[in-house]
Amino acid sequence: MTLRAVALALGALLAIGAAKAPERWWSPGEGRVFPAQLTYPNADGELGLVLTGGAMPTRGHPFFEPLGPDGRACVTCHQPADSMSLSVASVQERWIATKGRDPLFAAYDGSNCPGLPQGERASHSLLLDHGLIRVERAWPVAGTDMSVEVVRDPTRCNSGEYGPEKGKISVYRRPRPVANMKYLLAMGFAYDPKAGMPLPLDPETGQPVSGNLMADGRALTLKIQMEDAAATHLRMVRHLTPQQIAQITDFEMRIYSAQVKGPHGMLNAGGAKGGPQTLADSIPGQLGSISNQPNSVSGPVWSEFAAWEKDDPALPEAERAFRKSVARGARVFREKMFLISDSAGINSPVGFGNPVRNSCVFCHNMTQMGNDVAPGQVDLGTTTLPFADPQPDLPLFRITCRGKPHPHYGRTILTHDPGYALTTGKCADVGKITLQSNRGLAARAPYFSNGMAKDLRGIIDYYDRRYSIGYTEQDKQDLVNLMRAL
Amino acid sequence: MKRVVALMALLAASAGAAAEVNFITCPVYRDTDNGRKSGCWLGEDPASGIRYDITQSAAKPDWNFAVLVEGRVAASPDDPCGGAVLDPVRVSILLDQPCTRHMIPAEGFKGRKYVLPKRNIDPLSVVRAKPQPPFATRSFRLFFDWNSDFIAYQREDHSLDMAIAWIRGAPVRSLTVTGYAATTPFNVSGQAMAEEKGMGQIRADHVAEALYRLGIPKAKIVTRNGGDGGVIADALADDLPQASRRRVEIVAEVAE
Ligand code: HEC
Ligand code: HEC
Repeated sequence: MTLRAVALALGALLAIGAAKAPERWWSPGEGRVFPAQLTYPNADGELGLVLTGGAMPTRGHPFFEPLGPDGRACVTCHQPADSMSLSVASVQERWIATKGRDPLFAAYDGSNCPGLPQGERASHSLLLDHGLIRVERAWPVAGTDMSVEVVRDPTRCNSGEYGPEKGKISVYRRPRPVANMKYLLAMGFAYDPKAGMPLPLDPETGQPVSGNLMADGRALTLKIQMEDAAATHLRMVRHLTPQQIAQITDFEMRIYSAQVKGPHGMLNAGGAKGGPQTLADSIPGQLGSISNQPNSVSGPVWSEFAAWEKDDPALPEAERAFRKSVARGARVFREKMFLISDSAGINSPVGFGNPVRNSCVFCHNMTQMGNDVAPGQVDLGTTTLPFADPQPDLPLFRITCRGKPHPHYGRTILTHDPGYALTTGKCADVGKITLQSNRGLAARAPYFSNGMAKDLRGIIDYYDRRYSIGYTEQDKQDLVNLMRAL
Repeated sequence: MKRVVALMALLAASAGAAAEVNFITCPVYRDTDNGRKSGCWLGEDPASGIRYDITQSAAKPDWNFAVLVEGRVAASPDDPCGGAVLDPVRVSILLDQPCTRHMIPAEGFKGRKYVLPKRNIDPLSVVRAKPQPPFATRSFRLFFDWNSDFIAYQREDHSLDMAIAWIRGAPVRSLTVTGYAATTPFNVSGQAMAEEKGMGQIRADHVAEALYRLGIPKAKIVTRNGGDGGVIADALADDLPQASRRRVEIVAEVAE
């Protein structure tokens, strides 16, 4: 579906439900009560949110109150209707509704670069066209074995008073969903096989952590993440108080989100276990890529739709076909094998070999969430040439490896976003992006850290090109239907 | 034909009672499909012209680089990949020796269905057995691939997991971590192979960092470069003499 079609469908849905549907957009400081259960219609059905422990007043709550000078709150970029991320459709709607004055479009990171004329649409094109927020990282980092040059700077935020000469690099990323956090924080094993090391430690407590937050892994805990978010996205000068930190953590750990209704009926009907309540009720951190994992309690990845493998002729034809398609999609995700090659984090240095035959579930292996049980820093090629699709709007960097060359790219690398390497400083980590949650996808297009896939089909088409998978049209539709149901 | 080659290799091996086979070669990927991780890796020993099946290595090749292969010809007559099976076998990727990638079709070979390796570690949810007294000073070894300090997945991480379970449960006073490297050249496929002089220290530091991440205070850990410690016999190195030279020894001294 095109964005325009999505917008139209949404408009129609909104018109029908106008009388009782809650306002989709949460503005900072509205003081609404966050109900224990909340649903929002979208083009593929309905997104469901569950707040465990019951309704919560948001008045005075630091996730919802404007804390900094720009009038923004965390909720500005982590919207309930968008599965606690931010869809480009919502961004466009806000631009029109507020004539570009919503705090979302704040110069600091809601525009392509703070120095650009802020009244013009073109200055916010990355946010408006791709849902991207500017992320500024300090560069170089200690111990780095690579140098960075700017090849192309269409946003003018990687040169002049910005950019590497001034100790900064700007990349552009999608907000990651702030929901289902117990899964992203879960630790399945004591080791990170990709790094050949035990799990990283929280610098504040010395305790091991999952290593599954943020595209570049720069924040190892929710606390460090929110302090970073407050200082950057919110432009707060003061620090979050211990009480604010506790309140944000409390909310982040209670909120669950997933598509709850598909285009043809409830996703937890007919024996299936879709929707956010299952997520709230289940044990996180289960390895769902192999069925014989000792102590596994929740089965293979996306087995919540296994019951739909059984045909139900009593159902209306469209619903019957959709259920079967989702169930097949789950099998394709787990069982259709292809050769994964030149993807650092998988093909090097862990020892799986380059190439290695496997399926989607090799990387997306946590049951119910589809993130990686181990710290998930993998170079899928989404941000790095020659694998990334052309993205003329994005900056392009030339990385030179000063020590050992990169095992797959060689000594020089062209990338839109070095990803994990911006945190570690290591050339071998260029292009690695932490796998994110796979839930609530229908509510939060576009996809991948840089918004490269504009819809769900775009994700599948990318993989099909990237690894020459050779999916049939049926496989592709089944995978898309599966993703619509997550 | 392939059977004959395999047989010849077997005969050659049985003469020297499963002699060690060492060589450097560009790997060939055979695209067999028997489920996940079922692709085959082959490598020809330049000295003998025999094509070996090197798939059983815990760490697999990268089709863009030469590999150092260390192994023994397996007793089993199976030929799922089209090469004389080496098992045990270790493969080290030689990042400074590029190769042209080469993939060949399955040609009727089945490959191997993936089975979870024996040295697979348990999830955190599995409670580790507590070591039982009396406690005496004990040592643990980790082995490494060529010129590498990487703690190999489903091989050395398993040894580390065993070690840390004991160290955590025993009254350990100090840990001495000594790294060794194959710095004295040995000859493989016409190349005099020697590891960097500092590799022993790099390995020791790496393992010390791993122990720290597993909760051992840095003050309790001493690291040393043991230089070239020579060949030892150890089942954890699959009794492969050359591979046994690349190791770290953790000596856990217990308080009286
Ligand atoms: C201007 C938009 C914006 C605002 C405001 C914002 N965020 Fe985010 N958030 C992002 C982006 C973009 C990312 C992804 C960054 C990355 O991967 O480098 C993100 C990522 C996160 C993540 C990581 C989720 C994951 O799965 O890795 C958490 C948690 C989070 N934000 C919480 C917060 C909190 C708490 C606040 C308020 C203090 C906040 N955010 C305010 C844009 C925003
Ligand atoms: C080699 C590891 C790997 C394999 C195999 C893999 N993925 Fe991914 N996947 C990733 C990484 C890494 C990301 C994050 C990339 C980014 O955001 O730029 C990702 C992201 C995603 C996302 C999240 C998009 C978003 O914006 O939230 C979806 C959905 C997804 N993959 C689906 C699939 C499907 C379907 C397959 C099988 C065709 C698959 N993946 C195979 C590594 C993998």
